[in-house]
Amino acid sequence: MAYKCPVCNKVWPNTRELARHILGTGDKPHKDWIGSKGLSFADLLLMGSKGYQTLSELLEREAEKVN
Amino acid sequence: MEKLPLRITVNGQPYELCVKPKTLLVEVIRDHLGLTGTKRGCNSGACGACTVLVNGVSVKSCSVLALQVDGAEILTVEGLAQGEKLHPLQKAFLDEGAYQCGFCTPGMLMSAKALLDENPKPTREEIREGIHGNLCRCTGYNSIVRAIAAVAEGKYEEGE
Amino acid sequence: MKYVVIDTPLHNIDGPAKVTGAAQYTFDITLPNMLYGKILRSPHPHAKILNIETSKAERLIGVKAVVTGKDTLGVKQGIWRRYKELCDEEILAREKVRYIGEPVAAVAAVDEDVAEEALSLIEVEYEPLPAVFDPMEAIKEGAPQIHEGVERNINVTRHIEWGDVDEGFKQADYIREDWFKVSGQAHVCMETHCAVASFGHDGKLTVWTSTQSPYYIQVLLAWTLGLKESDVRVISRYVGGGFGSKFELDSAQFCAALLSMKLRRPVKIVLTREEEFTATKRRTPMYYYVKTGVKKDGTFVAKECRVFTDGGAYTSMGATALYLTGFFQSFPYKWPSYRYDGYRVYTNTMPSSAMRGFGAPQATFVSEVQIDMIAEDLGIDPIEIRRKNGMTPNYEVPGQATIRSCGLHQCLDKIEEWIKSRGKLPPNRGIGIAAYGFMSGGIFNWFDTPYAFSAAMVKINIDGKVDLYVGAQDMGQGANTTLSMICAEELGVRLEDIRLHTADTAVAPVDLGAWGSRETLMAGNAVKMAAAEAKRQLLEFAAAKLGPNIVYDLDIKDRWVHLVARPERGLSYYEVVRDAIRGRDGQPIIGRGHYTPHRKGMISPAYSFGVQAVEAEVDPETGKITLLNVVTAHDCGQVINPLGVRGQLEGAIAMAAGYGFTEDLPMDNGKILNPNLVDYKILRATDMPETEVIEIPTYEPEGPFGAKEAGEGLTNPTAAALANAVYNAVGVRIKELPVTAEKVLRALKEKKEGKKKEG
Repeated sequence: MAYKCPVCNKVWPNTRELARHILGTGDKPHKDWIGSKGLSFADLLLMGSKGYQTLSELLEREAEKVN
Repeated sequence: MEKLPLRITVNGQPYELCVKPKTLLVEVIRDHLGLTGTKRGCNSGACGACTVLVNGVSVKSCSVLALQVDGAEILTVEGLAQGEKLHPLQKAFLDEGAYQCGFCTPGMLMSAKALLDENPKPTREEIREGIHGNLCRCTGYNSIVRAIAAVAEGKYEEGE
Repeated sequence: MKYVVIDTPLHNIDGPAKVTGAAQYTFDITLPNMLYGKILRSPHPHAKILNIETSKAERLIGVKAVVTGKDTLGVKQGIWRRYKELCDEEILAREKVRYIGEPVAAVAAVDEDVAEEALSLIEVEYEPLPAVFDPMEAIKEGAPQIHEGVERNINVTRHIEWGDVDEGFKQADYIREDWFKVSGQAHVCMETHCAVASFGHDGKLTVWTSTQSPYYIQVLLAWTLGLKESDVRVISRYVGGGFGSKFELDSAQFCAALLSMKLRRPVKIVLTREEEFTATKRRTPMYYYVKTGVKKDGTFVAKECRVFTDGGAYTSMGATALYLTGFFQSFPYKWPSYRYDGYRVYTNTMPSSAMRGFGAPQATFVSEVQIDMIAEDLGIDPIEIRRKNGMTPNYEVPGQATIRSCGLHQCLDKIEEWIKSRGKLPPNRGIGIAAYGFMSGGIFNWFDTPYAFSAAMVKINIDGKVDLYVGAQDMGQGANTTLSMICAEELGVRLEDIRLHTADTAVAPVDLGAWGSRETLMAGNAVKMAAAEAKRQLLEFAAAKLGPNIVYDLDIKDRWVHLVARPERGLSYYEVVRDAIRGRDGQPIIGRGHYTPHRKGMISPAYSFGVQAVEAEVDPETGKITLLNVVTAHDCGQVINPLGVRGQLEGAIAMAAGYGFTEDLPMDNGKILNPNLVDYKILRATDMPETEVIEIPTYEPEGPFGAKEAGEGLTNPTAAALANAVYNAVGVRIKELPVTAEKVLRALKEKKEGKKKEG
């Protein structure tokens, strides 16, 4: 089971790594996607581990699962 | 502003110029005479890149008005080599790789010459003191010290 | 001896020009009909530009033109061209200024005095805006927004991770968390930024400038001025220092070009030393948090770090510094798990960009000081803990890089030997060490060039002399000599047979420039390939003439073309050249080479390593630190230019020691307080200790003749080794750069008071 990035379609083995990818990439499209889900990119970053956790949980619900 | 006459000898060549009173010696050397070997790194006398010899004494030419040295004998880096014969300091700098970007090098050579003219057998410490006024960002100074020491030790003596 | 040319102490080929004063730097260039330019700069750290009135200045006798942002195409340029949102800097601001010193207007006049006077006649109406100077303040909710659309002033983020760090901390027997603050640094090139631009009636622009990358300047000028790249020519034959400050487009180049385009006359702009300090770029200051977990025997288990970098007003090369600090924070050790989160934050200060080491000296300070602390906490010898965890050849940094050659352990052995030989030290004296690893050029094509990263051409003429064309730039580090040596060695001739053509975009093939310590490896590979190709053509003719058994190889060494197995059987190089040219319809022999790293991981094709020991004495009354000895064991693969490497090492020590304890750029509300060479203290000859170099030869398969970088890695360890030496001397740990006498004295006082309280 793997997860597809909703912005650029890159595939990651779990939502934690997908969250790290999204926050690590930080370009406009990725930032905008987070904004569209009612979250603040900057706030997620600054929460440290908790930020990744929060985003990870969101991605569990929102990201497309692939095999 | 009225210009005043200036008579100086530079590298053995006498010149008669007319300069404004506020003209710096380094401006005469570089801009009026076109001898661009002497450099400028700061305009505040702090870096030594403009060092030349005035009547044998090392002087930061950005800190001296040209008219203050009226009648003097100036030696710049262009005056070190005699035709195809390099000055021992120049040979030593080549052998030791005592330069990298080279911008501080003319000033270093002039300070080194002034040091050795006054103190032909300096200690390493005295060499470092002798070039204390010359900043170098590239070499870390040690190759320059080695080069000057080699000349002091007589490595380049050949009865010039 | 294995080699004829390389690894021998040959004179630098630029030596005669430099020691006689004949070398013409951009600083020295004058052209007929030339004008002099000056730049008006913002006095505010953050302000809207409401209006700029230039008519009074234009009317001053001797002034020929005044330009502002309105005269530009308004291009937001940047060197990270691949990411448009990181191209955020207009040189000559149109709407807003974001740091004290940002250019707002430029003047061309008959001399510098008139140009300077004209600046004072330009009336700029500003609306000052609230400004922010500290990255930790700039990320707060409600802080002034420096760039439109950039939330919380977070400019770039970088994330590096491998292994499971959280699991790793669970396995660790001992964990340390520490906060560090590392400072900026000024490059202090002896030749300030300068340019002479000449735009002709033929619509072509020629710019003489002091730069580390004529190619980048060519492309960036074409982009910002709306010209075709090939109609822009950049010339940079002698450069008075770079150190990372001179490969981006700067205000002297842009304003001189803009003025020249308007006037169709050459315009020269030379930055003053004060402008050099306040209006160029600097090393990136950083706030560093590191959490490290180890086993009780000192084996490294997990490391986590979060870094906020003070980006200043624009992106510049700051994104690279952010990445490299995170990557080199793990060097030169094997970390089973590692996590780095880096954030670059805009502030209203001078932009932070590239400076020798590029984020690695900062990282090395943090890492090496903390490792010493961990070693002390666990009662482990500082060399031993590094030995236990040090990288070895062919180690793979998971998902990031493969280390091929690595002489780290031999370096540790040599330094351990030296320390033992020092015996017991007198009081207030200490030896501190630091280990490092560094890249030989970067892989990531952030500039988005379509060209090979380095290229070269070799042309052999009828008299056997060789014309070598390289785009690689010598800024004092010796690339001209190093590359000529590689060419001579490969081709089998002597250094004096090579005539170099470089530093001119109209003549030399594209090279990305001298940064990231890439020239020896990347340009060196291109040169070696070009020379090999030319040699191959010669050997075809030699083989025909000599008629050897097909199994024999031919080679050329020291102008002698011969059978490798039977070197006495051969021909003079000169004879073969004549035959070859005649035999090819009179065409000179031409060989071409190029190099771009492929499939070499994320960072670099090869890594250098080293360990440095600094012996220092601390005066307990004043806190003053005196450097006594610096010994460095380093591995740069095969040494090409030994005089050059030694010079680079000694220069690196002086620069890195300055970073460690004497150089700082204190600011007050965004204004640099010491923009001169008296108050900004770089090391002088009397401050520099004796230095010893121990070469650890290795062979790097990716490098020309096995060579790797030397000049940048050597700036990594000194600040850390110095801080560790201070601790070993007087028992105080300073975790904030620079380690000044004041900080040491304060720490000593606190330590005394602490003891009194306990006692």
